[in-house]
Amino acid sequence: MLNFLRRYWQALVRPSTSISLGVLTIGGFVAGIIFWGGFNTALEVTNTEAFCTSCHEMRDNVFVELQTTIHFTNRSGVRATCPDCHVPHEWTRKIARKMQASKEVWGHLFGTIDTREKFEEKRIDLAIHEWTRLKANDSLECRNCHSDESMDITRQSVRAAESHERFLFTGEKTCIDCHKGIAHRLPDMSQVPGWQ
Amino acid sequence: MLRHSIAFSFFVAIALLFFGLDRVAADNIATLRGPAPLIEQEEAPRMMPFNNNDIREVRNYPEQPPVIPHKTDGYIVDLNSNKCLSCHARSRTGESQAPMVSITHFMDRDGQFRASVSPRRYFCSQCHVSQREVKPLVENSFIDVDTLLLERAKQQ
Amino acid sequence: MTGKTEISRRDAIKIKAATLAAAAAGISGPASAANLVTESKETELKWSKAACRFCGTGCSVMVATKDERVVATHGDILSEVNKGLNCVKGYFLSKILYGEDRLTQPLLRKTNGVYDKEGEFTPVSWDEAFDTMAEKFKKALNEKGPTSVGMFGSGQWTVWEGYAASKLMKAGFRSNNIDPNARHCMASAVGGFMRTFGIDEPMGCYDDLEAADAFVLWGSNMAEMHPILWTRLTDRRLSAPHVKVAVLSTYEHRCFDLADIKMVFTPQTDLAILNYIANYIIQNDKVNKDFVSKHVNFRRGNDDIGYGLRPEHPREKDAKNRLKAGGSTEMSFEEFANFVKDYTLESVHELSGVPKNRLEALAELYADPNRKVTSFWTMGFNQHTRGVWCNNLIYNIHLLVGKISEAGNSPFSLTGQPSACGTAREVGTFSHRLPADMLVAKKEHRDIAEKIWKLPEGTIPPKPGYHAVLQNRMLKDGKLNAYWIQVNNNLQAAPNMNEETYPGYRNPDNFIVVSDAYPTVTAQAADLILPTAMWVEKEGAYGNAERRTQMWHELVPAPGEAKSDLWQLVEFSKRFKVEEVWSEDLIAKKPEYRGKTLYDVLYRNGQVDAFPTSDIAEGYANHEADDFGFYLQKGLFEEYAAFGRGHAHDLAPFDVYHEVRGLRWPVVDGKETKWRFREGSDPYVKAGSGLEFYGHKDGKARIFALPYEPAAEAPDDEYAFWLCTGRVLEHWHSGSMTQRVPELYKSFPDAVCFIHPEDAKAQGLRRGDEVRVISRRGEIQTRVETRGRNKPPQGLIFVPWFDASQLINKVTLDATDPISKQTDFKKCAVKLAKV
Repeated sequence: MLNFLRRYWQALVRPSTSISLGVLTIGGFVAGIIFWGGFNTALEVTNTEAFCTSCHEMRDNVFVELQTTIHFTNRSGVRATCPDCHVPHEWTRKIARKMQASKEVWGHLFGTIDTREKFEEKRIDLAIHEWTRLKANDSLECRNCHSDESMDITRQSVRAAESHERFLFTGEKTCIDCHKGIAHRLPDMSQVPGWQ
Repeated sequence: MLRHSIAFSFFVAIALLFFGLDRVAADNIATLRGPAPLIEQEEAPRMMPFNNNDIREVRNYPEQPPVIPHKTDGYIVDLNSNKCLSCHARSRTGESQAPMVSITHFMDRDGQFRASVSPRRYFCSQCHVSQREVKPLVENSFIDVDTLLLERAKQQ
Repeated sequence: MTGKTEISRRDAIKIKAATLAAAAAGISGPASAANLVTESKETELKWSKAACRFCGTGCSVMVATKDERVVATHGDILSEVNKGLNCVKGYFLSKILYGEDRLTQPLLRKTNGVYDKEGEFTPVSWDEAFDTMAEKFKKALNEKGPTSVGMFGSGQWTVWEGYAASKLMKAGFRSNNIDPNARHCMASAVGGFMRTFGIDEPMGCYDDLEAADAFVLWGSNMAEMHPILWTRLTDRRLSAPHVKVAVLSTYEHRCFDLADIKMVFTPQTDLAILNYIANYIIQNDKVNKDFVSKHVNFRRGNDDIGYGLRPEHPREKDAKNRLKAGGSTEMSFEEFANFVKDYTLESVHELSGVPKNRLEALAELYADPNRKVTSFWTMGFNQHTRGVWCNNLIYNIHLLVGKISEAGNSPFSLTGQPSACGTAREVGTFSHRLPADMLVAKKEHRDIAEKIWKLPEGTIPPKPGYHAVLQNRMLKDGKLNAYWIQVNNNLQAAPNMNEETYPGYRNPDNFIVVSDAYPTVTAQAADLILPTAMWVEKEGAYGNAERRTQMWHELVPAPGEAKSDLWQLVEFSKRFKVEEVWSEDLIAKKPEYRGKTLYDVLYRNGQVDAFPTSDIAEGYANHEADDFGFYLQKGLFEEYAAFGRGHAHDLAPFDVYHEVRGLRWPVVDGKETKWRFREGSDPYVKAGSGLEFYGHKDGKARIFALPYEPAAEAPDDEYAFWLCTGRVLEHWHSGSMTQRVPELYKSFPDAVCFIHPEDAKAQGLRRGDEVRVISRRGEIQTRVETRGRNKPPQGLIFVPWFDASQLINKVTLDATDPISKQTDFKKCAVKLAKV
């Protein structure tokens, strides 16, 4: 076994004697594309609702909750999937988020939230995590769909229109400040500003 | 079933045309349902949206809990949070410009005012309801006291 | 100077307000009329107390009247039950009297001026109505005897209405075919109480709500059905963080919003969960041995008791103990322990689908000796083909740990109707009962009733009459021919409308009378409709779920010719001579009754007519007294109270109830009873015994060994869904009052089919789609609802029954508990089809 590894290592470090530089370069390039493409494809697979809900923690808790909300079914039939809100669309941030997400895999393997009770206990941490992220990025994932430029407040209720004029358009607040608990149930809100 | 009810409506229309109103009206007295015979059924009415115009409705008497002039579907009120109070709590009304919960809601069972809304008033929907955009099946002839007094004055 | 300015400003405001009000009302009154609106004499309202018209919680309300109209209502702050609160229905009580389609005169089906079963409803006088009705009753009595006449009443009857009706039927017509719609509602609770304790109604009271450390809801959606008790429970849970709330149901509902332990179980497996808890308590050595040895006996109940279907149904033929459903034999504690041993965590989890950790947490609430537990249940237990068993099994648990009859430790059966306890149960308007828990089948009980009623021995027939579901079957079969329905909407409420109720009402052999305030679907299926004075249009008394009796005065006149149910019963009795309804040998025992009417014998007996109209409180009308010339309600109440006084059902004197916000019986020496069976609280407990279950002769309660048995009908390949029916917060029962209040109507206008989103998807259904809900018996069309207050698990749908145009009882099965005869409205099998 050790011998095999040693020989393999030597083959790798020794300069090539039989393959041309061109082949090596192009081959490397092609291989790179394949790897890169494979990586991205794999990444995109993890970026689907089907992947998210393949774990029962997601399926039985947050996904069930989502199904009863306006972000799942609504008038126009445009719906949000898990990654639309929870994964940044821009590449570097996406990779950063994916690296964080490895913790969720860890959580799944070790059953951190494998019962509803455990999930409920952890819900406040999970929620604060998402609120903090959205607050820091000025509700970027909300705005991917709900841009304030495209918002026609004459088509909103007076109550909503006035609030958006006062707080959203002035930049005083960002989406997540007011719109908590719109896609999932809320944790204990007694310590959260603006809630009782 | 649907075909039945269409056929029946057609029959009713013809009957009305030939025999006048009274016969059908005299047999279909149950005002909370349509003209279909009791063992049949018409199309189930569509689910209509909630009124969301934010215009407050006049109360029938001061003790009546106001109906909610906006939709509340999807509002969560549970052990963890109370969506209604996130606008209607005393401390939230500045930002929300929503009416503050009535002062009576701060009273506990013993009639004492508490620092915040009494827990017995926690589930708002037990008294306050949103209104769908539907017409009542039967009108209600309740007369509020102001109208009653005016009518009395008029008679005198 | 400043005063003058103020006055003029105030005047200006007044004028503006009056103008606006006038404009709103479409009146163009003179501006000067506005001056009247602020005069204190004019704006003064007359406030009187009344019991709420709706559920069994028994809230007290204050009612404001002006110019003979109700103008406002609010929760009574002096009432211990609700302390100033009402639910949304209660707050709109003012409007239930004023639906525009109030019935104001009798309506008889006629063709060419004569009665015709297929004729049109035609206005007639009270005389013509009663003449026709009397003729039909006499014809039935003559041709087929007393069992061919019957009556279906209600837990919405006032105490004296139920009492007068029971007397008219059981003593006057000598027919026990009188049953209340409480049969659909509380019969299993009654059965449970009588079997376990030998005396009906809860031992605890609502004070338990402020004393318990844990609440367990078994098939009770209190948040919608008993909202004011829910406010008290919420108050306790949120004020005292150590308090735990456990909720069990076959679907998720609003109570889950407050629950610490949420449990959705497969229908019917509550029986197994109950036995699991008993097993847990025994296995973990948490039995209160001292309590059990002193106060409890063990019995093995008969199993395989059938499903209360028609006797020719195969499921009935196969049932071993169909005719001995309530039977039991003695057993020991060890045998009981052995019996529940099979209900293990593993097996009950498998059967019920409830996660193991939650089952254990639930069992521990009961087992923990330092936790006071109150259990609540309503229709989830009672509307169950094993409803009496469910009641027995929950008492088992409380008795094993001795958590009973003290503040906070309380197995508490809630009621659905405002006087299910006060009228249906205490007065004994069931087909097998007499007042104060007595039975028609027992000679000594009949003797007592006949003596109090001054009737010849043998007047009351010994055989129990037809119960609710059986009445409909007998109507259909043509054996019950003259039938009177008061204060309920049984065509909408009873199960299997297509196969039983409707054919029964429309059977050409039968004459159906319906007394109601509004034209319900039941009225439409009737032959004669009598217009009825409702709620505060008459003097009344109700008894709530905590044994609290409450009274109110007549506050406003009824519209048109409408009269109270009481007036109708008593007036109708005038049309029968004793010799027309009694046999000669019976009359021979009391020859002085010959030639008299039932009115003379039953209501002018020197007791019912003992109180003069001058006893009526000043300032209140009484339309019955106006017509009969004596204080009928007081006389009936006092005669009725004679049954219970001295027999652990003591009521206070009549006049007291008009002063107080109700009292919980037994009321002895002016003192009400909060916790029965407990020394110091209940005067009937022998001194020194501490606790005594005096309902049974041996002074002990009974623990019953009863197994899990399957439901009468379960989903299969073709009919793949469980159907559960029930109520919604905004509508009370069949909606005949609340659907006529626009605000309540608009909040929940039509029935819908609550269904799991995945089930809907699999059936090709979207939210809002029209769908047919089909059983083997009938079908309705409704709309798909995948969101909202009720969240059924996959495989179950929920449809409320308040909607007169979507009559879900066309679909339900008329299977009943074989002991209590109460229908299981919570379980049958249906399929769905997109329209």
